[in-house]
Amino acid sequence: MLLLSRHLDQAPHYHADVQHFLFGRECRAEDLPFSEKLIRAHVKNGFIAIRPGIIPLNETIFDLLSIRKKWLCARCGNRDQEAFAFCSCARCGKKCAYCRHCLNMGIIRSCTQLVTWQGPEPRVDQAFLDGRPLCKWEGVLSNEQQAAATAMKRTLAARESFLLWAVTGSGKTEIMYPAIDWQLRQGHHVTLATPRTDVVRELLPRLRDAFPEVPISGLYGGSEEEDLHAPLVISTAHQLIRYADRFDCVLIDEVDAFPFHFDPMLEYAVRKAAKPGTPFAYLSATPPSALKNRFLSGKLKGRKLARRYHGHPLPIPSFRWIGAWQKLVQRGKLPGVLQEWLKNKMEAQQQVFVFVPSVSAAAALTELLQRNGFSRSAGVHSGDPLRHQKVADFRAGKLRLLVTTTILERGVTIANVQVGVVGADDPVFDEAALVQISGRVGRSAAHPNGDVIFFHNGKTLSMVHAVRHMVQMNQEGGR
Amino acid sequence: MERCLFCGEMRGDPLSFHNLFSPDYAPGFCLSCREQLIPIDARHCCCLCGRDLSRLNRDRVVENRCSDCVKWARSGRNGLYVSNRAIYHYNPFLKEMINQFKFRGDVRLADGFAVELKRAYRHCEREQSGIFKRKPSFLLVPVPLSSERLLERGFNQADVLARQIGAPIVQALVRVRDEAKQSKKSRAERMRLRATPFRLNEKAAVRLSGHKILLIDDIYTTGATMRLASEALATARPHSIRSLTLIHG
Repeated sequence: MLLLSRHLDQAPHYHADVQHFLFGRECRAEDLPFSEKLIRAHVKNGFIAIRPGIIPLNETIFDLLSIRKKWLCARCGNRDQEAFAFCSCARCGKKCAYCRHCLNMGIIRSCTQLVTWQGPEPRVDQAFLDGRPLCKWEGVLSNEQQAAATAMKRTLAARESFLLWAVTGSGKTEIMYPAIDWQLRQGHHVTLATPRTDVVRELLPRLRDAFPEVPISGLYGGSEEEDLHAPLVISTAHQLIRYADRFDCVLIDEVDAFPFHFDPMLEYAVRKAAKPGTPFAYLSATPPSALKNRFLSGKLKGRKLARRYHGHPLPIPSFRWIGAWQKLVQRGKLPGVLQEWLKNKMEAQQQVFVFVPSVSAAAALTELLQRNGFSRSAGVHSGDPLRHQKVADFRAGKLRLLVTTTILERGVTIANVQVGVVGADDPVFDEAALVQISGRVGRSAAHPNGDVIFFHNGKTLSMVHAVRHMVQMNQEGGR
Repeated sequence: MERCLFCGEMRGDPLSFHNLFSPDYAPGFCLSCREQLIPIDARHCCCLCGRDLSRLNRDRVVENRCSDCVKWARSGRNGLYVSNRAIYHYNPFLKEMINQFKFRGDVRLADGFAVELKRAYRHCEREQSGIFKRKPSFLLVPVPLSSERLLERGFNQADVLARQIGAPIVQALVRVRDEAKQSKKSRAERMRLRATPFRLNEKAAVRLSGHKILLIDDIYTTGATMRLASEALATARPHSIRSLTLIHG
């Protein structure tokens, strides 16, 4: 180590291990597995930049003048002052502010320093790049899909952002393949960010099959993989916080589910993970109005796909009145309409998703169903420890009936599944959610039809808009 | 409306006379988080270590104490150490909470325990004083961390909890050796450890003589730490040593 640092003093060289470890990442100084001396030498030569983890926020003149300081977390972008707390820190001996928002990635205090790599980019491991196409997917894209895929590839190659507005079940994942393939062959770092863990878990095996030679890393809360250096990273938005200035191309699947408006930290994370000027590809069946407007006014390039890949129209939901179902469930009675519909589906040997608005409703309804003879049923919600197991069982056909909250509204493909939304009038189910939920049905070419029933206690505007949205898409798709 | 310190949901406490007229009340946890905490009833706990006796096998209960405390008494290692009072029974939910507090460093969570800690402290005081006797005031001694661990963690969780009580704190102990974490050791290993890792802080020791001492820690498991700390404190000639922990686990 001594020899090395003396060497470093003479000529501005960097250590390959440090470069490999730090490139495209942002780390706390205490997490670095290198000696302080080595790091200091790198800082001196400008290969490493250090900045404080918590920055005082002075946006307006009032912030400067007011006695109470405001803070900004440099790692997660948190500026909600409620989410900062204070402790008397034993390291610096002062009172430190810390960010409660990104605690589970290691605490950031006022005295914490964040380290980023500023030196040259490491060469990508070229082992899998030999000029041949990387995508080994053997399916065939329809003409419309092919056109969208080519447009996407070209637009991203020209370093411009792209919106793919495609109905549920139109094969969005496959449309991305040519673009991903091109980007990877340029030696670029690509990330596919999605809002939800379940979507990452669904996409990961599909992309591994399509790109067998490319190291792919899947990151979500609780994932075991720690290979942060893979050229293709499929990740939840939260996990992208670990990166900084790494990606040359960012694809965001289900962009409207990205709670951009709800949690600004996620947008901050995605922007930070990408290099400046990186093109973004947004994919969604129900794009948020800001993107939609930019697309329609021509400011954002994009394509609209109004037809499913198998050419059949979207199944249109039907409404069925269920009354005060919550009260019935509380009293331990299964609503008659629901029971009858479920019985029919079970007799027809079909699998059923039952969406409910809340975790408590999921628990109560599951228990009630099991008591009423629907034995192969289960309930899942975001906090369920057995959630992944239950979804896997449902996929394998071991479970026939799955009661779920909105966590499974997107990105889940199961052939010939039927959908009931109990309490579709609940404010949780907005237009986008209902469109997505209806999109679970009829995704395979063998079973292009199926039931989507909104069990409601009074129609809402969201329900009507959702149906109108799908009818309009079917018309545009020529059906 | 305040948010829950742990889960971040709105507190949504039902209105009562207590909070009807005070718009902002003490920071704390929401109802569903509090329901998952299991408080230990002072009337049904081991009078020596504060363990919840109703959760213990019948054959391990001797009158109003548990078999562990009987063993401790027989071992003759108690010295000046009298008893422990714990607030909560250890369960997976509390484990998650302590994980966030201690290992992730979310010091703010301690604020949520302030009310309960103060109540438990008053309980300890009341136990000590008869009706006409003057209330004894305890000196709080937080169980220290070694300097390496303190640097790594950035704070001493026992110290943070002690500050919530609002009684005088004396940093009377220093942890000399940096042995493996107690939580990583087996029960037998903990009991075998005889040489105390604690040393008396000579400057603070003068204040202790003749006083009643309350050791503060986050969790009481076997009681070995408390006995070792008492051993080190004994040379300062305090009146007696008790302890107060957040959890009995």
